[in-house]
Amino acid sequence: MGDTQTTHGFVPTNQATGKALDLSMQTLWLTGQVLGVGARLWVRHEFESQESKPVEVIYSFVLPRDASLRRFHVSGTDFSVDSELRPTEEAHKIYEAGIQAGSLSTLAREYGDGLVNLSLGNLRPKEKVVVLLEILAGVELHDDGLRLRFPFTLAPSYHAQARGMEVSPGRLELELPADEFGDLILPPFERDGGQLHRVGFCLDVQAESGIQEIASPSHGLRVQFSDSHGSQVSLSRESDLPDRDLVLDVRTKTAGPWAMGGLAGEGMARFAAVIPSTEFGRVSDSPRRLVILLDRSGSMQGLPLTQAKKAIAACLGALDAKDLFGLVAFDNKAELFKRELSEGSTENRWAAREFLDRIASRGGTELASGVDAAASLLQDKQGDILILTDGQVFGTDKILERARATNMRIHCLGIGSASQDRFLAQLARHTGGVCRFLTPRERVDLPAVELFASIGRPMGKDVAVTVEGASKLKIAPEPSRFVFSGTPLLVYGEFLPVEDARLSVQWLGAEGKSHFEFPIRLSETSWGGTLKLLQGACIISDSESRLEGAGSRTAVARRETARVHERLLELSREYGLASSAMSLVAVVKRAGDVPGEITKTRIVPVGIPSELEHFQGAGLMFAASCLMKLETAAEQLPAEAIKASSLFAFLSSPVRRSKSATEEVAPDETKEDLLVALAGMMEPDGGMPGETEEARIGNSIVALLYFMREGNTSSSGPFRIHVERLLQYLNSNRLSTLSRANAEAATRTLKGLVAGVSPAGDWHRHAERLAKAKMVDLHVFWRELTVAVNA
Amino acid sequence: MGGGSGNSGKSQRDEEFSLETLAGLSRVSERTIRYYITRGLLAGPVRGGRGAFYTAEHLKRLHEIREQQQRGLTLTAIERLATAVEVEERLPEPETWLSYKMAPDLVVQVRCGTSPWRVRQVRSALERLAKEFLEK
Repeated sequence: MGDTQTTHGFVPTNQATGKALDLSMQTLWLTGQVLGVGARLWVRHEFESQESKPVEVIYSFVLPRDASLRRFHVSGTDFSVDSELRPTEEAHKIYEAGIQAGSLSTLAREYGDGLVNLSLGNLRPKEKVVVLLEILAGVELHDDGLRLRFPFTLAPSYHAQARGMEVSPGRLELELPADEFGDLILPPFERDGGQLHRVGFCLDVQAESGIQEIASPSHGLRVQFSDSHGSQVSLSRESDLPDRDLVLDVRTKTAGPWAMGGLAGEGMARFAAVIPSTEFGRVSDSPRRLVILLDRSGSMQGLPLTQAKKAIAACLGALDAKDLFGLVAFDNKAELFKRELSEGSTENRWAAREFLDRIASRGGTELASGVDAAASLLQDKQGDILILTDGQVFGTDKILERARATNMRIHCLGIGSASQDRFLAQLARHTGGVCRFLTPRERVDLPAVELFASIGRPMGKDVAVTVEGASKLKIAPEPSRFVFSGTPLLVYGEFLPVEDARLSVQWLGAEGKSHFEFPIRLSETSWGGTLKLLQGACIISDSESRLEGAGSRTAVARRETARVHERLLELSREYGLASSAMSLVAVVKRAGDVPGEITKTRIVPVGIPSELEHFQGAGLMFAASCLMKLETAAEQLPAEAIKASSLFAFLSSPVRRSKSATEEVAPDETKEDLLVALAGMMEPDGGMPGETEEARIGNSIVALLYFMREGNTSSSGPFRIHVERLLQYLNSNRLSTLSRANAEAATRTLKGLVAGVSPAGDWHRHAERLAKAKMVDLHVFWRELTVAVNA
Repeated sequence: MGGGSGNSGKSQRDEEFSLETLAGLSRVSERTIRYYITRGLLAGPVRGGRGAFYTAEHLKRLHEIREQQQRGLTLTAIERLATAVEVEERLPEPETWLSYKMAPDLVVQVRCGTSPWRVRQVRSALERLAKEFLEK
């Protein structure tokens, strides 16, 4: 691991005073490789104690999606040692024995929801220790690239039994129930990132099909292209604050299927294959049955909720009259638009919009009850659920269990910090859906429309994968049985090496049963070993989500928990990766260790994602919702105790309970806003509204021109369904009702659009008028269109 | 480390626990116990270094903390409650007492604010006592 160690000579200072900060952990630096299917990361933690006696430092973080810890390396002035992977009980004993002996002890232990405590005990005064932790992580795959998210922050999230309070201005304390989370110690959540350790990153990005573009909505980047397949990406500044997560978007040059593989020891070949959805033909046009589930909890307050509501209105515009839809808003309880699915008629869609208008943020995130309500609308028949949520919840294993039991495909549009990426990715994958995750700084409505366009009608179903010509084949984790537009199929597997192994995929698509094959190329490099680790992290992450907390009530649940625990032990041993059943531990004996000392404990505070401030005090909203438990407790406590501690005084503070003024503030009008507004106006027959047939046709052509001008076609772009339905509406029979001149202009326009040629004109102006006044100036429009097609 | 819970025949109250034993009995991990000691929620061990041990008082306090957590209190809240109780213990509210000098070498004090019937009862008793002293 020595080759990955880099030194960074900066010192965290208080931004206000310029003085060095007195921290137990000074820096966190992310390095490693981002590959086509996942990332192999090394996180460097630098600890130095400024105290006069030995301390025990505890740093908490959450694992990214499909991630596992592999090992760590501890080094100091005159020592260097690697971790051992041991069953958690045993690792705990080794750690405690080391502490008692006065030795430097390090333990990396995983708890529920992918939360990890990295404990470093007996750090001496002025001693510098570096812990380099290796993490294998998954990425969000798209047909044309990937998105990597790495959490530098930890978002305080909802749990019905959580205890929380704002202990000082801008600092939240949160504790989770011990019967579910054991002795997990959550850090103080600090709103002011300037008081915390510094972070940075330097990553190698590699893509088999070549890199087109690398970007980040979260951080300023410095990108160095080394060759057509690789680049080095680093933070453009010297260091940054841990007040937001790293989000890295990589777009690849070509979007064809590809597979990478190699020998992974044990005489087996490991491979990973990515097959873009475009390989699965076209989307079927069968009617859809779907329920949109909107998270209205306190943490969604402000722009995210406003955008999510607009996005849903636009999604409703893409509904066909034959489609059946439901709408549910949830917080602590679920509120239904109607108690059964509704047809996508104009009346129902307007009523749904009115229902949406009344939805304001409040309460906690009882996602499981929302999922139950959505599933009950689908009545155990096949259907899809689209969730728009920030996913800010703890105790996700129970939600996943309930979601799996519904037997419905669940698609997630996450809006939030990376700490929830892991959960929402699992929620989608375990139910056969797809997941997109956005930062709150990004637009919510466009990806929602894009996701909506792909769900309900899979491009391929009953997908089955095998490797022709291979023996001892094992494909795991089980690939998705469905493929949706925009999201590729990911396959991991192993087999006895052969020269001409071919990956074979069969599926049921719009044209019936289909099949294709392509070769798996085994390279001589170390790919096999890396792929085995990424595959293992994915499998372990899946298994962990089936592990209920120790508080399982029933005997059946306890037996199942024990079974999953055993399975995790096996997997950890097989793949050499930590899990909640196996932890990483190291003890360093140093000269002069004093046994029996009780060290002081120092918890490293973490940053609250700055996006939460963007949410206008969602952290405080969260605290208030969480503190409902405290209010209850206050009623039970003796009055003098409450008075004596003045603990609950802030609960009555109007500031804490006030609603954000930005709740109803919409973003400035942009072309994206205009697209969403037009999409939301669409009638069930696919045309735009209008008082006469001629007006409807004119308005529809304006909308079509604008959608296509902004890059949407009937097969690509977030508004592809809208384009397709407008084209269907504007058929020759309908155009024949127009005057001869207008019919000719319309026909020529449509022919040009289908051929990829758009008539030149200021269609934006007409589209804007259509969105605002619900009509265009038809006389002017037809005249300009005629001139444009004749030009 | 001190003796462990063992079968020494002593009652649990008299026993000396190692940190490991205290953790086992309380079902609170050693790391968490150290954290509580750092936060002042729990007293440190009796004696320092290798001879450090814990007692039933520590165990009782850990149970109290668990019970308060189950009532929804955070560690800071528990900390503040404990501090408030401590302050109360250290600095009791001042009280007014009535002082009856029964003889040059005898003073009887009665707390002010007791109910009238009780005052009457005490006064009557004191009068009897005073009479007895004077008669002697």
